[in-house]
Amino acid sequence: MAELADIPNEFIKNEVDEFVEREDERAELIELYSQSAPHLLEIGAAIISGRNEDADRLTVEALERGTGALEVMDDGLIAGMALVGIKFRENFIFVPEVLACARAMKAGMVHIEPILSASGIEPLAKVIMGTVKGDLHDIGKNLCIMLLRGAGFEVIDLGVDTSADEFIDAVEEHDATLVGMSALLTTTMPNMGRTIDAFIDADVRDDVKIMVGGAPVTPEFADEMGADAYGDNAVECVEVAKRLVGVTG
Amino acid sequence: MVGEHSKEFQETGRPVVGEMTGRERVMAALAGQAVDRTPVCNPTSVATVELMDLVDAHFPDANRDGEKMARLAATSYTELGFDSVMPVFTIIQESSALGCEIQWEGKDNWPTVRMSKPIWKSADDVKMPSDFLKHPDITCVLDAIRRLRQELGDEVAIIGKTMGPWTLGYHVFGVEPFLLMSLDDPGHTKLCLDRMKEITVAFGQAQIDAGADALTLPDHATGDLVSGEYYREFLRDLHTELVDEIPIPLILHICGRTVDRMDYIAQTGLAAFHYDSKNDPAESMEIVTDRIALVGNINNPQTLYANGPEQVAEEVVRNLDAGVPLVGPECAIPLQTAIENLKEIPLAVARWHADRDSSLPAASEVQDR
Repeated sequence: MAELADIPNEFIKNEVDEFVEREDERAELIELYSQSAPHLLEIGAAIISGRNEDADRLTVEALERGTGALEVMDDGLIAGMALVGIKFRENFIFVPEVLACARAMKAGMVHIEPILSASGIEPLAKVIMGTVKGDLHDIGKNLCIMLLRGAGFEVIDLGVDTSADEFIDAVEEHDATLVGMSALLTTTMPNMGRTIDAFIDADVRDDVKIMVGGAPVTPEFADEMGADAYGDNAVECVEVAKRLVGVTG
Repeated sequence: MVGEHSKEFQETGRPVVGEMTGRERVMAALAGQAVDRTPVCNPTSVATVELMDLVDAHFPDANRDGEKMARLAATSYTELGFDSVMPVFTIIQESSALGCEIQWEGKDNWPTVRMSKPIWKSADDVKMPSDFLKHPDITCVLDAIRRLRQELGDEVAIIGKTMGPWTLGYHVFGVEPFLLMSLDDPGHTKLCLDRMKEITVAFGQAQIDAGADALTLPDHATGDLVSGEYYREFLRDLHTELVDEIPIPLILHICGRTVDRMDYIAQTGLAAFHYDSKNDPAESMEIVTDRIALVGNINNPQTLYANGPEQVAEEVVRNLDAGVPLVGPECAIPLQTAIENLKEIPLAVARWHADRDSSLPAASEVQDR
């Protein structure tokens, strides 16, 4: 079993030591980071500190030296975001900092995505994502989408103010098996329930798993509305999505 | 604010129930003074579809027509028995006047700013149009306040609403660009906020001139987005300046978790803080003490929208037991909220006081008023 001292990057070692408190997560991250190549951990460090220009440059350099795109993404970009997610969940950082990290991740993903899509790797599942009708907020949803794509899902982003019909049409058009709905306002949250009811009325509810999230949404509210799962944050959204499609790890 | 007092008030310093109008009650609570019973108010919005139907004043017209706006706002007093009225149901009136693209929606949905289409990029762009106060989405608010003052007189507190610079920043710069700017260039962000403050003051002063008793100041530096230290760095001093520049009580509204910034908020001199159900009433009161009046914090999506009067009463009691000086919903309520649940708030307040003071009227008497 790896130790904290085995992580070959001082910055990440300190970050894990300072911010990761849960024993299981700490062990998992130490294992992950201690096995990663130093040049990929540099990418992770750039992501964690929100340095988009460094993330861009280091990703290009990693690819140029022959590291596979999947490895750069998993052990560099996503590995960095894993720690960002934990810091966000535990309120060590907030949305501005996460946006900066996401901007850095995007700078790296620009170089990874074309390679992955040309290689024909099958997605874990197709996910339809949107903010519910009447709600124009999309920060949380966009963070979820970025991490879902990073984790291997194909995401169809319906944007904001999405009607029940738009969700249903997208599921049918793309043959998707997962739907993610977001709401930021207490006033628009009930539209999640109405959308789920519309899936029932259209006789397509059993064709998909529905996950919901957003600042005012609670697990109890999600349950009462008839959602299959609730995610508290973007990292949890990925875990929930994997669970719903039967993927472990 | 309180007029002629009974002998008992003069002797004990405590008003006898019924001695205060809703307006006096709210204004006294905002000033930290004694009240005959805890005032009930929502400084954001209590508009519902049911109330719209009742007075035939529906969204979106009730957000753009002063007469309909006033008619719908009055229902929080005439139908629900609240101690205040709030005609500004949205948070977008001034953003519309500034040129943001607005989705006005229909009867059963809230209008929203299309924040994906920001109108400004830097402090150089921040400028209040010379005809800002003449824009129809501004004048309708002023018209509504004048009508409410004329129709309701001094019976009920008329609360206006002027958006704080932080929330205006979301609307005019877009949420993501604005939050990233705050991280990338805090100095420039402060310059933007300082310049946008002029808009907050101008709309606020216009509502005071129209007859508003107090103003809600929504400025959504919520714990769901930014840290408590962010509030201290960007907004604490700015809110103190607004207290100096706006001569009537200001009620700050921030959704979400805020206990980590309540101490800073209490340092500003703001009259009140309208707080969310994500914060425990007792813990919140312990932080703010008597430095600022808390207003809230009955949960919207679960308690008021999905549950019944019994659960509403429980949350009212939780706030009263904690010493929260003004009770009401945590935020603008879902439009499909049942009137029955809203009516329960003043009834539960009356019962709570009656349990502690036999001189107070029964809940049924309160309902009749």
